[in-house]
This record gives sequence, C-alpha cells and structure tokens, in this order.
Amino acid sequence: MRIASRGLPLLVAALAIAYPWLVPNYYLVYAGALTVMYAAMSTSWNLLGGFTGYVSLGHSAFFGLGAYGTGLLVVRLGVPWVVALLVSAVLVTVFAVGVGIAAVRVRGASFVIVSIALVSMMNLVVQGWRSLTGGSTGLQVPSPFPGLHRGETHMVFFYLFLALLAVALLCWWHVSRSRFGAGLRAIREDEDKAESLGVPTGAYKVAAFALSALFVALAGGLYAVWFGSLDPIFVFSILIGSYMVLMSLLGGVRHLYGPLLGALIVAPAGEYFLIALGETQIHLTATGLVLVLVVLFMPDGILARLTRRRPGPSIPDETADQRLQKVTP
Amino acid sequence: MSVEGGSLRTEGLTKSFGGVLAVNGADVELRDGAINGLIGPNGSGKTTFFNIVTGMIRPDAGRVLYRDREITRHSPHRVAHTGIGRTFQLCRVFPRMSVLENMLVAVRRTRLRELLAGLRDAGEVERARHWLRRMGIEHLEEAEARDLSYGQQKLLELAAVLMAEPDLVLLDEPAGGVNPALIDRITALVRELNAEGRTFLVVEHNMDMVMGMCDHVIVFDRGAPIAEGPPSSVREDPRVLEAYLGV
Repeated sequence: MRIASRGLPLLVAALAIAYPWLVPNYYLVYAGALTVMYAAMSTSWNLLGGFTGYVSLGHSAFFGLGAYGTGLLVVRLGVPWVVALLVSAVLVTVFAVGVGIAAVRVRGASFVIVSIALVSMMNLVVQGWRSLTGGSTGLQVPSPFPGLHRGETHMVFFYLFLALLAVALLCWWHVSRSRFGAGLRAIREDEDKAESLGVPTGAYKVAAFALSALFVALAGGLYAVWFGSLDPIFVFSILIGSYMVLMSLLGGVRHLYGPLLGALIVAPAGEYFLIALGETQIHLTATGLVLVLVVLFMPDGILARLTRRRPGPSIPDETADQRLQKVTP
Repeated sequence: MSVEGGSLRTEGLTKSFGGVLAVNGADVELRDGAINGLIGPNGSGKTTFFNIVTGMIRPDAGRVLYRDREITRHSPHRVAHTGIGRTFQLCRVFPRMSVLENMLVAVRRTRLRELLAGLRDAGEVERARHWLRRMGIEHLEEAEARDLSYGQQKLLELAAVLMAEPDLVLLDEPAGGVNPALIDRITALVRELNAEGRTFLVVEHNMDMVMGMCDHVIVFDRGAPIAEGPPSSVREDPRVLEAYLGV
C-alpha cells in the first residue's frame, strides 16, 4: 500500500514530464500546459479553501493582477520577464494581505460575496485605467522567447507551469503537516473553538489567503508572458475562480492531489466542449451544472470517495464508562 | 485550595441584545484557587457573562480584569493566552481531526519556525497523552473526534483546554447531556485539577453537582449577581429562592 501511495505519484510525475514528447501535436502540448496551469491554480486555491473552508470565487483577481503586473512591468518599464513575474507576485501578495485583513472578517456566504466583489472591482479598475492598462482593448506583452515558434513556446510553458505546480503541491504538503496547518484545519472545523484554544484565527486566515494569492499571481504572470495578450474580461472573470473551486471540490479539498485530479478532469473536458460545441455559452452552462452536481452529491470529492475509511469499531458510551472506572482518580 | 482575593474581576459589565439587557452592570470577583459556581435561572445572563469574559462578545460597558490586567476587549485567542480556558455549553471538538490533533491544536506557538515545524513534536505528544490518560481516553488518540461518544467528546474538550495550561478554567454546563457516572468522574477530575492549583468557574444547572463541588457560588438573576457565598448559605438565601421559585 505504501509502495502504491508513493509509487503512483512518482509514476504520474514521470508521465507528466514525458507528456510533451508523447503527444502527437503541439495543440495537445498547449492543452496540457493549460491543464497544468489550472492544476497549479486550484492547488493554490486549496491552500485557503481546503484548509480553512473559506470559499473564494474571486481568486481570479489575483490571477489577473499577477498577469497585468507582470505585463505592465515588462511593457512599461522594460523589466526582464522573470524579475517582472517575481516582483508582480510579491506585490499581489502584499495586496492580498491588505484585502485579506478585511475579507476574512466575514464568514460563509458573506465571504463568497466579498471575493466576487473583489474580482469585479479589479476588472473595473483595469478596464477604466486605459492610460496604464490599455483598458478594454487589453495589453500586448512581447514573447520572452522570440526565437521559438508557438509550439515550442507551449512546451517551455508546460514545464514552467509544471514547476509551479510542484512547488504549490510541496507547499500544501508542508503546511498540512505543520502546526500552522493544524490551526487552519481547526478553523475549518470550528473557528470559535479554535480561537478559544488560543489559535490567532485572523492572522492564520490572512496568511493562508496571501499564500494562496502568491501562487495564483505567479500563474497569472506566466500566463501573461505565455499568451502575450491580456483581455481584462477574461483574466478577471469569475469563471476562472469558479474553475479553481470546481476542480478542488471535484477532486477533494482535503487531499493534496484533489485539485490536481479535478484539473485533470475539468480542464480537458472544457477544451473538448469548446471544440465540440464551438464558442458558445454551452460549455459555461456545463461548468455550472457540474459544480452544482458536485456540491450536491459529492461534496468531499472523488479522492474522499476512493479513500473512504471503513467504519471502525464503534466506541459506545458503555466502553467509555468502563474505561473511566479503571482510571485511578 | 485557597479562597482569597480574585484572579478574575468584572466591574459594571453590561451587554444588551436589542432591547434585552442580558448582563446588567455585573460586578463579580472570583475566589482565586477555588471552584466557583455560577448559577441562575434560564436567561439570567450566565452564558453571556461567560462569553464576555472569554472575548467572544464585546460588552457595551464595564471592564474585565484578570490578575489586575484589563482584558475587556481582547480577542478570544488573546484571552486564552492570558491563561483562561473554556469549554462550551454544547460540547465542541474538531470532528474531522483525530483526538491527538484536537489536543495539539491547543499548543501555543508564535515563532514562524515553530509554526511551520511538524505538528507531532515528541514532547507535546507526550504531554497530550498525559492529559488523555487522565481523562481515560488515551486509547482513542488516533480516532477521529466525531467517532467518540458525547461523553468522550466532553472529556476530550476538557483535555484540550488543559493542554493550553490555563490557570483559570471556565466550564459551561459540564454535566449537560452526560450520564451520572460521567458526572461523578468530571466532578472528581475538577476537584483533582483544583487541588493542583487551578481556579474554576462552573456554570451548571445540576444543583447537586454545584452544591457538592463548588467552594463559592455566585447567583445571577436578570444579568447581575444577587447573592454569593458558600453553597450552604446560598442555598438558604431568600433572594435565591425568589429568583428560582418566585416565592
């Protein structure tokens, strides 16, 4: 079992590394890069949503800000793209700390609405600030690899997103084993109780919010230099945030590989529907429908179904009392 | 056991919800090192008082002092860090975490390096096991808390509070919903823990438990104390009889 649990991720990692060389055309490399990008983003989203139970539909705000931050630094200031990517991600993280301090003061549905308001505001600001961002016409970012043709660029970005995914997974794994992670899970289980035991829940939530935003911003920055064309309506769309939620919920928010599994299902399915049905709104309807079905019938996700623990021996009251009699006062 | 001056003191504590005055200028001083009982009819403001003291609710007016330091508007985790632990009226544990994890959440750490270190520090695990052993539930450490019976969850809740090493423990209806054998066990545990130097404030409707266990009883009615003293004197106090029985 242990060999399987360690061997399977290694096998998947090896297949992922080999993927661009195994597929017959560059379109599938592109689709693979898109899938890995979503996997990295949903794993990042899960640093907040999975640990604390705070569902943000507005994480695309950090994706868009990371994308525009990187693009503007490259285009307006001529900063090398790697530096622009990192500086932009740090700035977005600092912004997320400020937003987080205000946003995580509310819980449940109120937090969801605040997160939607955030992405809507960012969209309006970027569209309105035409002199800087190009407004609704978007921003063109030069390719960092002008010597490569489009297909080869897809391959480079496939590996960059894969590296980002690996770091995001490593981060989630490390947090899950730490005291910080236990505090975050306690918030998900019962926030008031956690607070009464001395967990500074506000600071923990802001830290998780910012950490989550950092990786999403990095994904946004990579997207900017990969696609080379930023459309504010797309990068600040609630749909991207909804994809992160859907992928995490479908795979399982309590599992390291849950969002990755969700991305492996949802992203290719989305591409398939886009090709099969064309540029209609039907694939959006399909996304919404799947999200509703997952929430209703599989709220713990696929991995929770697969790893569902067998019911252990019941622990009845009588046994507890018997045990208590044995305890020396 | 000492019944000298108060480690916890409130002055003019007031809280209203809409038009309802839940706590009305309450001046309370606990006996340090004692088992203090807080009783009163339903709606007399006991739980609101509890929630104000532990930072769950902000008062409209008045002050809360612990060891002569004002903690009136401290957040609950800061109150916990001052050395005050509490349980809840309806037992609350982290249901999808193991019993051991429930315990380890209560370990206080502030340095980033310690926060990012592994949860299962050998020393802390041993300390958690010590408390679980004292509660008689050490054999359940790897079980998820939701699989425990209600009585076992009550014991786990108390064990987790003790893991944070509080000097003052506030118990909100510890006998609520548990069987008589467990009530006896909880009473014995509270006495043991008190003998080790911890002060207790117990809100409870089970009069046998309160009168048999507490050294000092405070009676609340309409949001403020109307009587206090040893159980024997409080039991006979006409104001208490009037509040409870309307005679």
